[in-house]
Amino acid sequence: MRPSSRFVLGAGAALLVIGSVAAEADVVSRHVLANGMRVLVRENHGAPVVAISLQTRAGSHFETAGTAGVTNFLQRVLLRGTTKRSAVRLAEAAEDIGGQLDAGADVESAHVRAEALARHSEALLELVAEVVLSPAFRPEEVEKERRLVLSQIRARADSPFQAGLDGLLRALYGPHPYAWPSLGTRASLERLTREALVARYREIYRPDGMVLAVSGEIESKRVVKTAERLFGKLARPGGEGPTPPPVGEARTVRRVLERPAHQAHVMVGYRGPGLGDPAYPAVRVLTAVLGGGMASRLFVELRDKQGLAYSVGALTPYRTESAFIAAYVGTAPARLATAEASVMRELERLRTGGVGEPELARAKAYLLGTLAMDRRTNARRAWYLAFFEVVGAGADFPERYARAIEAVTGEDVAAAAARWLVHPSVVVLAPPR
Amino acid sequence: MAPGPSRRLLANGVKVVVQEFRASEVVAVQLWVRAGGRDESATELGLAHYLEHMLFKGTTTRPRGFVERDIESAGGRMNAGTSLDFTYYHVVVPGRRALDAIEMLTDIGVNSVLDAHELELEKKVVLEEMRLGEDSPRRHLARRLYERFFDGHPYGRPVLGTPEIVRGLTRETLMSFYRRHYVPESFTLVVVGPVNPTEVLEGAERTLGRLPRSRASRLPVPSPPEVVPARVELERPESQAYLSLGWPAPRADNAETPVVDLLAAILGQSRSARLIQALRERDPLVSSISAGYSAFEAAGVLSVTAQLEAVNLRRAEQGIVSEIRRMRSAGVTPEELRRAVTAAEARHSFSLETAEGRAFLYGRAETIWRLEEELAYLDRLRSVTAEQVRLAARRYLDPERYVRVAFVPRGR
Repeated sequence: MRPSSRFVLGAGAALLVIGSVAAEADVVSRHVLANGMRVLVRENHGAPVVAISLQTRAGSHFETAGTAGVTNFLQRVLLRGTTKRSAVRLAEAAEDIGGQLDAGADVESAHVRAEALARHSEALLELVAEVVLSPAFRPEEVEKERRLVLSQIRARADSPFQAGLDGLLRALYGPHPYAWPSLGTRASLERLTREALVARYREIYRPDGMVLAVSGEIESKRVVKTAERLFGKLARPGGEGPTPPPVGEARTVRRVLERPAHQAHVMVGYRGPGLGDPAYPAVRVLTAVLGGGMASRLFVELRDKQGLAYSVGALTPYRTESAFIAAYVGTAPARLATAEASVMRELERLRTGGVGEPELARAKAYLLGTLAMDRRTNARRAWYLAFFEVVGAGADFPERYARAIEAVTGEDVAAAAARWLVHPSVVVLAPPR
Repeated sequence: MAPGPSRRLLANGVKVVVQEFRASEVVAVQLWVRAGGRDESATELGLAHYLEHMLFKGTTTRPRGFVERDIESAGGRMNAGTSLDFTYYHVVVPGRRALDAIEMLTDIGVNSVLDAHELELEKKVVLEEMRLGEDSPRRHLARRLYERFFDGHPYGRPVLGTPEIVRGLTRETLMSFYRRHYVPESFTLVVVGPVNPTEVLEGAERTLGRLPRSRASRLPVPSPPEVVPARVELERPESQAYLSLGWPAPRADNAETPVVDLLAAILGQSRSARLIQALRERDPLVSSISAGYSAFEAAGVLSVTAQLEAVNLRRAEQGIVSEIRRMRSAGVTPEELRRAVTAAEARHSFSLETAEGRAFLYGRAETIWRLEEELAYLDRLRSVTAEQVRLAARRYLDPERYVRVAFVPRGR
């Protein structure tokens, strides 16, 4: 691969559907530093701001039950001081330039993100580099962060939707890392040591696994030069990056979790394909037919026609291996059985009955619109560039994915439904009787 | 940079705000209505919000479900929100469909049928929405704070209404509210996107501009009552405690709003802010804490909200009050002020990145405030002095008179 290249994304004739093509060509420059770190820049002069997303190939996908949450914990600690600055000085330095500085880890990647007024873009890059390259790991700061993450884990358990989703992931994935949230579990967070964080840091901050993406009012040549100066000295270690364990076989499961609340929740999940699978676009369309938007089947049937719910829908995330497909509904405890039966009926109808042309077109437009609208801000655009590059799909994945969505047919959806909507895992959250 | 928004008053009283903005192919079209929870009588609580739901249930020419399918089939989105002072309907669609969206919003704005069968069915949905709100500690905390803070005033009422009132809602009540409030004088149309402003104005004239004047006028909202210090403690199923303190603050059109915005920012809106440093970092009493300022048409609220362990409730409240005392006596440093101004500038720039972000700012300002003031806001913010912030702390943050609401884990 040439060390530096430019590619043009999404040019074409304007249609009357959002996101079917971009309104104008979007130029992204791609550069690989000598140590293997990739730098992606999208110049955008729409607003006087700049956004950075620095991502590494790490996250809960690469953890074990004993280290669950270590990557997110590490990322949070990076914000708690460097060898040059304390936590509060670091926060002040970011705020001095109108900046937001944040970090965390998701399932497939760990990120540092930053935004500021464009006139401070050089200082913002320096700040991101300082956080990533010279963390202090002061023991008292590690303890403070541990306390905050433990409190987030409890708040998550207190939220019915999150608790239901977490229960569903456990039921779906069992011992695989996709089973736990990237925050980790109370048991793992209580045990993780400062040494474990430092070890994790050494393991994941290797230049060949890092992507720096920048979007905003900034020149790409300047970004590359600054990145070379700031990150060029980071040594490339030997050996391979981490490899996660394989996902096992799906099983049919139904679990009831008791919790006191005004609403009961039903979550139904399946194991779908990963984002590199040829069937992935059809599965996204299937999920949108089922529960994406106010004209989706679940919304129309369960909310508009039966009045069973206020919040009802379906979702599927970006995962490299097995992305879950989940349908959910929140309802009055007295109507739980009706709601569960209605969701299962819609799933069965989709699995065996196929989709009509207008609803297929609506679902595809809905997905394309969601993608296009989510990619309008500099912060989101930087995230998209870094994420798909770092997980190995390529920074131009969204454009290829959008074209693949447009090409999905009714037969593709029917085949995907027959193949993936099998072995449901059902989790019900209900108040004690 | 995009040219500023232009504003036009149509002959029948409809206001139109339009801005050509070509950062993306998406246009935001919003219909703002000067009717909200505060326009309801005490026996018809939840009416404004219920009507908002019913406007998605069909018009004389568009059957139920048509609007959602139509918009989503173009990759667009539509939704609505009801507040105490206003209701708004927002659409994002491809730029070329801006005029269709204006026509559609006009149609649901005045031609909704409010079908009796749909009306009964939707009651169940709204009751679920209430249950959902009850199960969210943060949403419920804000509700409880306002209820006590604005005791007896329309701002203290639940926008969703109560289960009893919603169950008893009739088509006549709803229709009468619709006829009374969804009139040209109440409407502001906001359009931001890759559009020709002249064409948008012509489109607005052909649709909203043809509605007959109603000559109805909205009742002014009464002045808020003097806040009576109160302490409310409620048991909840969550494992952590929540604390919220509220003080009266200036209303939306007050000249001091930029000063109070900066006061709230320095107190608790960033990692380096005083409450975060004092209560989360130096003395770990809370797991999260923030300060907020909400300005309504007739009143304002400065509030501090925290999530914490129940055993720390008393010390955390003392800690908040002692930070407030410190702010009142010693004021803020020039660095703090500069950082807060920079943060506001950055937040403002980022909120202008999307068409709907802009449309929301313009629509809200035009509805409860003034568009010119919104456009001059950053300049006013930059001219605020540290002494003004200290005086605002003295005026608004009384360390002895505030409303306090706490949620504690059940069975403690």
